[in-house]
Amino acid sequence: MRHRHALLPLVLLTLLTACREAKVESYRVPKEKPEELPPAMAAGASAPAVPGGADMAGTAVPTADGSDLTWTAPAHWKAKPAAAMRKGSFTVPGENGAEADLSITAFPGDVGGELANLNRWRGQIQLAPLSDGDLPGATTRIEQHGLTFVVVDFVNTDAAGPRRILGAIVPYNNATWFFKLSGPAALVAKEKPAFLAFLQTISAPAPSAP
Amino acid sequence: MNDTVRQFRDFFVSLRLTVVLLALSMILVFAATLDQVNLGIWAVQEKYFHSLFVLWRIPGTAIPLPVFPGGYLIGGFLLVNLVAAHVYRFKLTWRKSGIFLTHAGLILLLVGELLSGLWQEEFQLQLREGETKTYAESYRYNELAIIDTTDPQFDDVVVIPETLLADSTPIQHPKLPFRVVTKEYYPNAALRLRAGTGENPSLATAGIGPQITATPLPLTYKQDERNWPAAFVELAGPEGSLGIWLVSPQLQAPQTFDYGGRTWRIGMRPQRAYKPFSLTLLKTTHDVYLGTDIPKNFASRLRLTTPDGRDDREVLIYMNNPLRYAGLTFYQYQMDGEHAMSVLQVVRNPSWRLPYISCAMITLGLIVQFCIHLSGFIGKRRASAAYPPARP
Repeated sequence: MRHRHALLPLVLLTLLTACREAKVESYRVPKEKPEELPPAMAAGASAPAVPGGADMAGTAVPTADGSDLTWTAPAHWKAKPAAAMRKGSFTVPGENGAEADLSITAFPGDVGGELANLNRWRGQIQLAPLSDGDLPGATTRIEQHGLTFVVVDFVNTDAAGPRRILGAIVPYNNATWFFKLSGPAALVAKEKPAFLAFLQTISAPAPSAP
Repeated sequence: MNDTVRQFRDFFVSLRLTVVLLALSMILVFAATLDQVNLGIWAVQEKYFHSLFVLWRIPGTAIPLPVFPGGYLIGGFLLVNLVAAHVYRFKLTWRKSGIFLTHAGLILLLVGELLSGLWQEEFQLQLREGETKTYAESYRYNELAIIDTTDPQFDDVVVIPETLLADSTPIQHPKLPFRVVTKEYYPNAALRLRAGTGENPSLATAGIGPQITATPLPLTYKQDERNWPAAFVELAGPEGSLGIWLVSPQLQAPQTFDYGGRTWRIGMRPQRAYKPFSLTLLKTTHDVYLGTDIPKNFASRLRLTTPDGRDDREVLIYMNNPLRYAGLTFYQYQMDGEHAMSVLQVVRNPSWRLPYISCAMITLGLIVQFCIHLSGFIGKRRASAAYPPARP
């Protein structure tokens, strides 16, 4: 009955392929600190000074998949503990206690596309959504450091307290990065040069994979 | 031997089966190569080669239909066919020893591929300078970790693989005083902070979830992209629901809660494989060619420590010089010199030597067979030279 020997591998094969089933497991490990948060997300973190005595603050954070965009924020922007999801967060102080908020977030993929995200921002200051055809007129594209920035400036002056959003969308490393300055229209307008200068400091690190 | 058994035997020892299987495998490789455009290399390996059947889902349903034999089935039948033919048909003789050796090498190659498919594990270990880790993380698989953090010395961890979360079957584990019920699962999703008014309320009722919108995205199969799953998970105790949490590897901030007099942490993270030793990154070296950004040398100096003190030494891992330890191979994978961060690829493949051995056996078998034929041929020539045919 030599054929029986020949069948053995088939049975083994079926058994082996069946033994990869996922199951719930439990174990005990020595106390671990939760994953370290990026500097800008750590509670109370203030941005470290750039070596060399520059009066700008520098912060670098990893993206979702580990690689970085880096930037240097103006010294008068105050780094603040960011909410979860933010890669960086700053308070931009104005006169008479007015404050604007600068948020930096990054998400994998195109996150619904340019139009959807710009309309999301417009919705936040009660502006009507744009159509595809409005995009070229509403956006400015800037190329620098090998990155493409889609920059927008939305303002709603009709509201009781006029609001303005200055934003930039940057696709990088299979993710989309959002830099958004929002707050009272007058303060955001005053900060526009600083925001544009800030955008110019954003860069990707040199590729380092072997 | 009755007719059925004989038919069965004849089927498995036939050369016709070999030819059919080889033809099927060619079609399989061709189709898989084409489908790589859509699915990427990992999904193609799973769908076409690491399966008994290639499954096709009926559009609009979740019903899978087997449409073609998969790699395991074809390879398995080839293996059985080869072994059966040898057992039944071939007789071990000195003159056929080369053929035997070649076929044994082929059998070993098939077995090696099967074992690699089943046993090979690939993880990564990401370390910042000064950081110590006792675990590696998966590139592609995630898990829901529910951790009892009450003890000041230890964390009691219960991990639920992502595939079980996707099933939506309630999970009750003896170490958890509540059930885990998946309310919604997205294999790939984008998360963003809620814009405020005007959006549908979140399914999440606890943790950071209510502030976040999770939008399902199509699965990506690109080799350099990964899917970021998200799930709304309800924990339900005997007295009712404790709340619904949004979990995703993208949510880095820990979500904690108290229940039953204990403190818990919940989150989805890349699947972890804990090791009986720890690695501390001491120093990263990231050299580039002068005046360029072209990498010249990446090296990670690490301290390898075991809890029992048997090993406590420094190791240096650099390109083409991996660390082999405890059945694992640690390769230098990526390096971020600016942030003093190093990523090691951690591979476990107990059968990694088999392809080398089998190729050596096949080569040796062919050489032996060639030499046997050559010596026979030379012998015949000599014989005919010694005794030339008589001329008329």
